[in-house]
Amino acid sequence: MTTAEIASAPASAEWIRVDGLTKRYRDVTALAGVAFSIHPREILGLIGPNGAGKTTLFECMAGVLPQDAGTVFLEGQPLTTRTRTETLFYLPDAIAPWPAQTVGWALDFSVGFFGGRVDLRREITDGLALTALMRTPIGALSKGQRKRALLAIGLLTSQPMLLADEPFEGLDLRQTREVAAVLRAHAHAGRTLFLSIHQIGDAARICDRFVLLSAGRVCGEGTLDELSALARARGTSASTLEEVFLALT
Amino acid sequence: MASRAWWVLLVAMGPLVGFAFISAVRTYAEASGLNGTAIGVGEAFSPLVGIWAPTFSACELAAVFLLPFVAIRVIAGDRQSGALKLELQHAMHPAARIAAKGIILLAGWIIASAPALVAVVLWHSYGGSIYAPELMTVATGHLINAGLTIAIAAAAASMTEHPSTAAILTLSVTVGTWFLNFIAAVQGGTWERLASYTPTTMVSDFQHGLIRLDVVIAALTLIALGLVLASMWLQLGVPIRRRIANSIAATAVAVLVISGGSTSARSWDMSESRLNSFSRADERALRSIPGPISMEVHLAPEDPRRVDLDRRVIGRLRRVRPDLNVRYQSATSIGLFEQTSAGYGEIWYDIQGRKATSRAVTAEAVLETIYLLAGASPEPDTDPVFRGHPLMTRPAKAAAVLYLLWPALIVSVAIAIRG
Repeated sequence: MTTAEIASAPASAEWIRVDGLTKRYRDVTALAGVAFSIHPREILGLIGPNGAGKTTLFECMAGVLPQDAGTVFLEGQPLTTRTRTETLFYLPDAIAPWPAQTVGWALDFSVGFFGGRVDLRREITDGLALTALMRTPIGALSKGQRKRALLAIGLLTSQPMLLADEPFEGLDLRQTREVAAVLRAHAHAGRTLFLSIHQIGDAARICDRFVLLSAGRVCGEGTLDELSALARARGTSASTLEEVFLALT
Repeated sequence: MASRAWWVLLVAMGPLVGFAFISAVRTYAEASGLNGTAIGVGEAFSPLVGIWAPTFSACELAAVFLLPFVAIRVIAGDRQSGALKLELQHAMHPAARIAAKGIILLAGWIIASAPALVAVVLWHSYGGSIYAPELMTVATGHLINAGLTIAIAAAAASMTEHPSTAAILTLSVTVGTWFLNFIAAVQGGTWERLASYTPTTMVSDFQHGLIRLDVVIAALTLIALGLVLASMWLQLGVPIRRRIANSIAATAVAVLVISGGSTSARSWDMSESRLNSFSRADERALRSIPGPISMEVHLAPEDPRRVDLDRRVIGRLRRVRPDLNVRYQSATSIGLFEQTSAGYGEIWYDIQGRKATSRAVTAEAVLETIYLLAGASPEPDTDPVFRGHPLMTRPAKAAAVLYLLWPALIVSVAIAIRG
């Protein structure tokens, strides 16, 4: 399914389904039968404390880490190497790729290498306030600047789904709001975003639905209302995402 | 590719090659002045041995101690910075990615070898003789050696988590091959056969103008194996057990190819002086001898007579007679305390049951014994005598160009490019 096809698909339809994803590091189970679904054009938040298994889940989905069990389905079919490459792009957290190269070079390289969208380059660099940094080497950027440059790389790629690990990490409040606006505009344009966020306030601000992950297990999945209902069904009153998270995890 | 490590390699190559070239030219000039052009010492005045071998040795030094860091930087840098996780999401096959990096590294090495080309130009400007086939052979040997280094470093960089571990692993492999050469020198036999495929021995063959098909097959196979292993271990999404199984399978295939190639005795002597060959008349006579030729050499591995015998006689003999069977007998590695032992220093010959013993290690004496046993008599030698190319000259401008101009040029270019 291309970005254009996703744009016309019903938002409530299941597009990608993760089923029974399990990952162990020797004696530690990082993911234990993780299962949830992703709808087209939504911004799905992966919420969980540090060490919950968020990055492991993303890396297994992206194929950069082998999983021990489980399958990712795309429209009912198991994801192959090829469909994975065509469907999703994973943006890791805390990396500084090509540190000796400038931001401008990295964006051009990403567009060229990954077949990204050159038509979005200006819009994205303006939206993420990167214009003044185009000639700065990536290795010389501050944490927040590097995060924005990385987001630009991810947003320029053409896969219909973007997995971004901690997209607001290192950003101040103003930058967080600006980046959130860029991400939401991007989702409106037809792209599905799956964001790993450990700051619950940030997640509540931007995401349509949530997957709550704790100790490698999914504790809940749905909109805030659905999760609140789930919490109530378990005998806990919760109305905010924070309360819901605490109640369900 | 244009990392600091590569710029350092580029800068260092000038003085390294410069020192080797200047020393070689001075030595060559001294020898030329002392010995003139008398027949029989021509080999000493071959630029192959006198100039190119020592000059290009600087490339060998750089390939061992500098190039691995450039290769590791290129391969492991992406892993360290996180770029690999992005790049792996491209549909490009990992083998194609590694092959591309390998080609870039080899191109970088060729650029870094430019000071050797400068030395060739300087030698030509002094009026020195250049015999293109032997010069190309030496250059090819060092290019293959660089390919081996790149492949080993790439494999090490992809198998380990940290560049420093990869560097230690790469240098360990190099030191391991030196150790193998040492054991081969002491033990001989299978060890010696194995040691003929180490980079040091391979480069030595090329530096003597000798191209051995089995060595080329082994080197190219090892380069391919290193790159294949690198591409396998950079597939982070593949379970480690499967990577190990694939690596074992690839290594087994490589061993089979090298074993198959080792049966080939084909070789080419590209030296102008036919350094690795007997005269054509002797070669014809040796080929005509029926049955295998067996020799039992009672000389210790580090005895200078054995070194002479190996290089000047047995190496040449093997090229003509691949069925030559040589066994070494010695109780010690240096032979110093065996000199008085009965039989030490003797060479026993056996051709179709006819036996002889001799202590001579010169080519003429060995051939004479073999002809006597086999009842063969070579035709008169009609090969033109190689009188060498003596040259009494000073290494003019070499120091200025290679010690000063080259590093200054590289630093200027680096500043201009990196800003």
